[in-house]
Amino acid sequence: MVFLRSMQLVREIIHLFRKDLLLEFRSSYAISGILLYVFSTIFIIYTSFVDITTPVWNVLFWVIMLFTSINAIVKSFVQESNNRQLYYYVLANPTALILAKILYNILLLLLLSVLIWLSFSFVAGNPVLRTGQFLLAIFLGSVGFSITFTFVAAISAKADNNATLMAILSFPLIIPILMTLIKLSASAVGLIQDTGITKDILMLLAIDMILVAMTFILYPFLWRD
Amino acid sequence: MLNQSWWKILAVVLLMFTIFAGLLFPLKSGVLDVDPASVRTGDELTLTVTGYNSFYERGKDSMRIWLKLDNERALSARKIDVWDDRQLQAVFQIPEYLPVDRRVQEMDLVVDNAHDGAVVLPSAVFITQDSINPELGEQAWTNDPITNLHADRSVTFPFRNILYESIRNQYFHVPLWFAMIFLFLGSVVYSVRYLRGYRADDDQRAAALTRIGILFGILGLITGAIWAKFTWGAFWSWDVKQNMTAVALLIYFAYFVLRSAFEDPEKQARISAVYNIFAFVALIPLIYVIPRMTDSLHPGAGGNPAFSRDDLDNTMRMVFYPAVIGWTLLGYWVASLAYRYTRLQNRWLGLTD
Repeated sequence: MVFLRSMQLVREIIHLFRKDLLLEFRSSYAISGILLYVFSTIFIIYTSFVDITTPVWNVLFWVIMLFTSINAIVKSFVQESNNRQLYYYVLANPTALILAKILYNILLLLLLSVLIWLSFSFVAGNPVLRTGQFLLAIFLGSVGFSITFTFVAAISAKADNNATLMAILSFPLIIPILMTLIKLSASAVGLIQDTGITKDILMLLAIDMILVAMTFILYPFLWRD
Repeated sequence: MLNQSWWKILAVVLLMFTIFAGLLFPLKSGVLDVDPASVRTGDELTLTVTGYNSFYERGKDSMRIWLKLDNERALSARKIDVWDDRQLQAVFQIPEYLPVDRRVQEMDLVVDNAHDGAVVLPSAVFITQDSINPELGEQAWTNDPITNLHADRSVTFPFRNILYESIRNQYFHVPLWFAMIFLFLGSVVYSVRYLRGYRADDDQRAAALTRIGILFGILGLITGAIWAKFTWGAFWSWDVKQNMTAVALLIYFAYFVLRSAFEDPEKQARISAVYNIFAFVALIPLIYVIPRMTDSLHPGAGGNPAFSRDDLDNTMRMVFYPAVIGWTLLGYWVASLAYRYTRLQNRWLGLTD
């Protein structure tokens, strides 16, 4: 019985995930908008900094990543009309809905961060020494950002002025993750010799787990209106 | 329990005790300063010792002073001249060679008398050796072991260089943080209760507890900043604990912005309850994990501040624990007043009956 229900949940998640992906490809407005956002941000940063040293590179990468993620995720719950949201709620389990969104956003952020990395390296050079570790940081970052921002987007979509609300709710919540990520990637670009990398990774995983668990528990209270 | 008054009386009693005991018990006597602080080998050292809360006149007859090299070896003063309660002069003969192979050797000062008990000033005097010869030093060393120290039997708080009298802030700064966390915890409990029963009452209690929790947090931050000014030299030094604290307060300020974003009271209550629970969980890595992993000026970089043996002695515990309970109860009291105020306001506006 439990097995059947969890199979049902997985199936719902896959369907919803595919739906999000399809919507993205069909409208292509959102994804091209966010790509243009990335390129113009990097262009502005490059023209205003000119000489980007490794410590600055490291911090700027994550700041671009932060703002791009927020902009990419804030639309998660507002791009579709209220009526259509209601339709989903009738059809699907709320847990499946939020998990599908989170998974989709993880994929989106992974693509975006690799893209940011490539284009940033194109204009400012690539100081990354340990590529594997940097990719791990990107992965953990995408997961953490995606969980936090998706949940906050779900909250702020309930209010009218949701862009402001999104920023003030998510910035303080994301700081522990962001600080650990900057430390992790600082050691990947060779700024610091850190022996406690495993500790940082475990810490990020632990934060992600806690946040996913909270989302899992709390979203069912959030979605209905 | 919330409508009874015994816990309010308990809060008042405990806080009165905290304030009186915390501010009135004297500090243990200590050594503020010695002059000169450095000397060469072979010299006769005339050391002027400035005490704090000390009673050198009364302990004159039993006065003994050492310069301590390590746990076994010490040099005692040949002559002691007590000027007044706060100042004395001690004369030492520094040998030609020290039994160590270091150029500069630091020595602790130990002052002991029957009235004040034993007092230590770590690294009080630096002795510079002209030439290093540990073997000669070993031969020339006349050891005067430190024995039969007097105990201080009065009720006092520890004397710590750098901290001095500001050690009393321990009964305000630290318990305010404890109380804040307890208030936030209570708020989360009410938020959970709200989501289980959707009673407007629970939401208002949660909001009141959060509001007072923030107030306590701000007070904790201010008392901490004042303490930091005294001990670290600046109100704000971008220490990891200060930063995380500021972020924690931002999270809870956002709670009130979120509340004000909704017109519909049911929606407001439900969504802010959800956010409140999420925020409390996100607060745990912020306050309890990250600061412990990073170097910090604040005590407790590798563990819990305020619970290690170095941070508290038994006299301080006697005041500290009542202070924690007292501040927490006061917080709940003020929060219950805030809650009743909101309820009256709503009734007056005709929102509830």
